[in-house]
Amino acid sequence: MEMLTLSHVTKRFGEKQVLRDVTFSVPEHTVFGFVGQNGAGKTTAMKLILGLLQRDGGAIFVNGMPVHYGSTATNQFVGYLPDVPEFYSYMTAPEYLRFCGELFGMSEKEIKIRSEELLHLVGLEKEKHRIKGFSRGMKQRLGVAQALFGRPKLLICDEPTSALDPLGRKELLDILVAAKEQTTVLFSTHILSDVEHICDEMAFLHNGTIVLQGSLEEVRRRKQTVAMELETQRPEDAQLLLAAFPFLKLTGRSGLLLEDTERFPDVLRFLADTKLVPVRMEQQEASLEELFLEVVGK
Amino acid sequence: MKAFLKKEWMEWSRTGRILILLLIFSLFGVMNPALTKLTPWLIEALSESLADTGLAITSVKIDAMTSWTQFYKNIPIGLLVFLLLGSGSFTAEYQKGTLVPVVTKGLSRRKILSAKSLMLYLMWTVLYVLCFGITFIYNAYFWDNSIVSHFAFAVLFTWLFGIWTISLLIFFSSVVESSTEVLLGTGGVVAGAYVLHMFPKLSTFLPVRLMDGMSLLQDIRQPADYYISMAVAAVMIFSFMILATVCFDRKYL
Repeated sequence: MEMLTLSHVTKRFGEKQVLRDVTFSVPEHTVFGFVGQNGAGKTTAMKLILGLLQRDGGAIFVNGMPVHYGSTATNQFVGYLPDVPEFYSYMTAPEYLRFCGELFGMSEKEIKIRSEELLHLVGLEKEKHRIKGFSRGMKQRLGVAQALFGRPKLLICDEPTSALDPLGRKELLDILVAAKEQTTVLFSTHILSDVEHICDEMAFLHNGTIVLQGSLEEVRRRKQTVAMELETQRPEDAQLLLAAFPFLKLTGRSGLLLEDTERFPDVLRFLADTKLVPVRMEQQEASLEELFLEVVGK
Repeated sequence: MKAFLKKEWMEWSRTGRILILLLIFSLFGVMNPALTKLTPWLIEALSESLADTGLAITSVKIDAMTSWTQFYKNIPIGLLVFLLLGSGSFTAEYQKGTLVPVVTKGLSRRKILSAKSLMLYLMWTVLYVLCFGITFIYNAYFWDNSIVSHFAFAVLFTWLFGIWTISLLIFFSSVVESSTEVLLGTGGVVAGAYVLHMFPKLSTFLPVRLMDGMSLLQDIRQPADYYISMAVAAVMIFSFMILATVCFDRKYL
């Protein structure tokens, strides 16, 4: 079943058309990466899903129910982590989570158990200070805890890793993967390695439309030309090859890159004729980075 | 909504807003009779130098009425401080984005608006009763409150004026982004009403008349003279609350 569906969604701010025609859907129990450059419209799209902004056209469904601007009933299924989460600075982290629990109408006991569980998960269980003194990373952690508090069916995270140090980032990604068991995760990012690490599916947003989407494998397959990497024993051998095939690219002292893979048999033949034994020959894996650059046309 | 009310209470108490207001309103409450009590002594101290200028002072009569005059001079200042401190109730949340996690947890905007409004109205009522109560007790102790007429009406009308300005504050809070704009809007309307109040034909209709409790106490006016402005205030409060609900429903958070 689809947890989230966007169909032909458009949004403009004054003169600026931010979303032209956004269509994609997120199946249940997947981690869905929403990729795009800064300013591509990721946050706008998320705010539309949450009913925080009014869309100009198209339709959005969460768990089969339509989203309306303002007070939308679909928010009961959703947990949201904003890009820069802000909480009441005069509360402590457990107090804020208690407030969240009360908003959901949970029982006292339930709130206590869930708070402890989540504070432990995000590593804030020993934090006794008020939120006023929290660093951005700590607010981000509390943000994760409050977003997961109501056991949402859909967890929406807006660039959750961008404010974190490498360790915090890894921890957060682990939390998202773990959350997949119970919920569906939609997260936006411009950090492609995050997508490669944890996503099942993804969509690239560029110029207000989805330019590429599918599972990680499908998207990778999209890239037709996969370069070959070649490493020779000695730098001189590399020079020899380079002289014979000027279209090769030198990488490092004895590494060569063949982009036009149709010429690969010729290179092999040459290697056999000259009795050169390469140290390494490898098909380069299509990185999302390159794919992304290809898609945005740079 | 109970959860949000609890949060509002925490906000008012932990940010020190309640403390400041309690201090100011009780200070005013004490000051009204205290200043009255001090007046003869002050004038006596001044009388010698006044005598040199040719002014002769015989005796100053003070009673509960003098103290209530002080009350009516001070309560607008109390209201002003209250509005200043209350002006950020909504706008501080817009600017920090703290309502976003609340709304996305499914709490309806109407409940947020209701909780915040209720808190503002209740706080005003409590503080007003406190200030008035302190003055009342001192007045009864030093002098005699029975010399004033239409007491209950005078007290009620002034309270209602406070409620009217707060409904304006809430309405502007649901429309604009910053507390400065809220204060400008609220202040603008109140100031406008005061200007219009100078025209005798209009003064019967404007809520501003409600602040003129002294005329009631001194029996210059009758409660019936205030009924129209009271009705106008009530209708305006109701309409502002409806408008605020409509605007807040569509407010970008």
